[in-house]
Amino acid sequence: MKNIYRPFEATVEDIIVETPAIKTFVIRPKESFVFKTGQFIELTLPGMGEAPFTPSSDPGIKDRFEVTVMNAGRVTFLLHELPKKYSLGVRGPYGKGYPLESFTGKDILIVGGGVGLAPLRSLLFSLFSEINKYNKVVLRYGARSPDDIVYRSAIPEWSKIDKVDIVLTVDAPAPGWKGNVGVVTTILNDLPVDLKNSAVIVCGPPVMMKFATMKLLGLGFPPENIYLSMEKNMSCGLGKCGHCRIGKFYICKDGPVFTYAELKDIYDIWD
Amino acid sequence: MDNFYYLESARINELLTRLKKDYNVFSPGLKEPNFTKGTDYSYRNLSDNQQFVFNPYRVIEPLKSFLTPFMENAAAYFNPGKDTIDLGKTIVFGAKNCDITSLKIQDFVFMEGVEVDYSYRMKREDTLLVSGDCIDYKEVCFCLALDVLPYPTMGFDLNLSPVSDGYLVEAGSEKGKALIEKFREYFSEAKDTQVWARKTKREDIVNRLKRHLLAQNIPPKESLQRLVKDGYNLDTWKEFMLTCVECGGCNFICNTCHCFLLADTSDDNKNKRLKLWDSCQYANYSRAAGGANPLKARYQRLRFRFTKKFDFFMENLGMPACCGCGRCIEVCPGKIDLREVWKDLQNKLKAKQ
Repeated sequence: MKNIYRPFEATVEDIIVETPAIKTFVIRPKESFVFKTGQFIELTLPGMGEAPFTPSSDPGIKDRFEVTVMNAGRVTFLLHELPKKYSLGVRGPYGKGYPLESFTGKDILIVGGGVGLAPLRSLLFSLFSEINKYNKVVLRYGARSPDDIVYRSAIPEWSKIDKVDIVLTVDAPAPGWKGNVGVVTTILNDLPVDLKNSAVIVCGPPVMMKFATMKLLGLGFPPENIYLSMEKNMSCGLGKCGHCRIGKFYICKDGPVFTYAELKDIYDIWD
Repeated sequence: MDNFYYLESARINELLTRLKKDYNVFSPGLKEPNFTKGTDYSYRNLSDNQQFVFNPYRVIEPLKSFLTPFMENAAAYFNPGKDTIDLGKTIVFGAKNCDITSLKIQDFVFMEGVEVDYSYRMKREDTLLVSGDCIDYKEVCFCLALDVLPYPTMGFDLNLSPVSDGYLVEAGSEKGKALIEKFREYFSEAKDTQVWARKTKREDIVNRLKRHLLAQNIPPKESLQRLVKDGYNLDTWKEFMLTCVECGGCNFICNTCHCFLLADTSDDNKNKRLKLWDSCQYANYSRAAGGANPLKARYQRLRFRFTKKFDFFMENLGMPACCGCGRCIEVCPGKIDLREVWKDLQNKLKAKQ
């Protein structure tokens, strides 16, 4: 019988510094591990603690995966101190990922904020690998400052892909910044997408998700086409420990991806 | 009459002595008298010279303690050697129908859904429940208001109903029948008169409870989900939380509350993961990395407890996570009484109409 609370072993193969507060960990699991984009895992620092993360790598790569982690809490602080080759524990993957099958033939609009680009990068890689299935992929991403843009060097490469359209914005510009200045909702006007035939994916800090969703609804996107990556303190990952409940759902097992239509009648979803 | 037997009071202690050879036996004992609280019963691991006590109403501790203990080793990992789990067979006497019925919630959480918690399932399979009819009630008892009877009709292995000089024993499961077969010499065939006596006593306790509840004016069971949903933004939560000291007692003593946290430790270089009860009344219950906390205020957490019990479980299991045992009322140092919360929601909603 499988012990659902027991992690399997994995090794930190590489550590990439993305921004002053964000690092990407390349992790090689010692057991076979497959995930769907949008699903999350629980990462264990042996003897120290466990926290949920959504892989940021291409699910098509089977022998290793990546998580992009902001130094924000106790476990993430410890993770940021890790040397290479360190042994970690992994449980998962948990939850339902993005329903890629229902995105076929549509304009895909992705709205991201801050470290929210981490799970979205995994989604982007999945979309890029079968780009012919989609009409276009439009990314609108906001970060606090140019230095806080995650995967900054990779983004120009993504822009070169056929049918991909990317616009970035920052709240606080730095010398040399030529892009848009303002919160992410300021780059959601005149979107090159078909309102009636699109899937919108929103991921970022709660306050950004709230205002982006309100803006998108105002623009006329139907609630059932807006996909939100929700986050709470998922602990067990299996709908048992109780922590990540919102209304009648557990984010860990019923999500973490929900349509706005599923959540709109639940109070306080952005808190 | 297949499942009915008679067990003489005079022989029950001898039976318990026999049972203790093969099982870990837990049975209620009388707590030291406390004038402010009345007579209470508590589970004890029966030792040799202790006599069997039939508790007239539910004991203090929730039955879940035997299946999902306050603290347990959930996993050991990356250690040399093999991780073993040592589980013995257990018999628990003294559970009442509120306890038995609310185990449906624990079973749903730990044995259904995406994956099974095998530690829970093993304990569940290795634990025999010998329940008993209620022959009395406490002030805080309100099971009938939630359509839970003061005697079990399913979910037990054996059930004891006191009749003259002994107990009418009903076998409610194959495990229960097998236990009776193994110790057949203690059990005789039940007589029609004994079954009739049980029926009479059961009608009597139901009638007494009905009278007890009459004065309490508890809103109907069918309205509870609507009350917590429609009453989401009422002041009730802010008013009732004023005396909450965030002790978590209401959660820990509740037989349906199941929340837990996982905590990692390392003793002698052995990595361990502990599973501990958690309480949604604690300030850190929903705190996430970076400091976000959707349940920052006490009133939000009080409301969270109610929406979990009366909305979430109605939606997902079709039953409320409350069986009317009244333990949370009794344990609360702030005297927060969930019956009063319901009534206040009902009154405020009526006034708004």
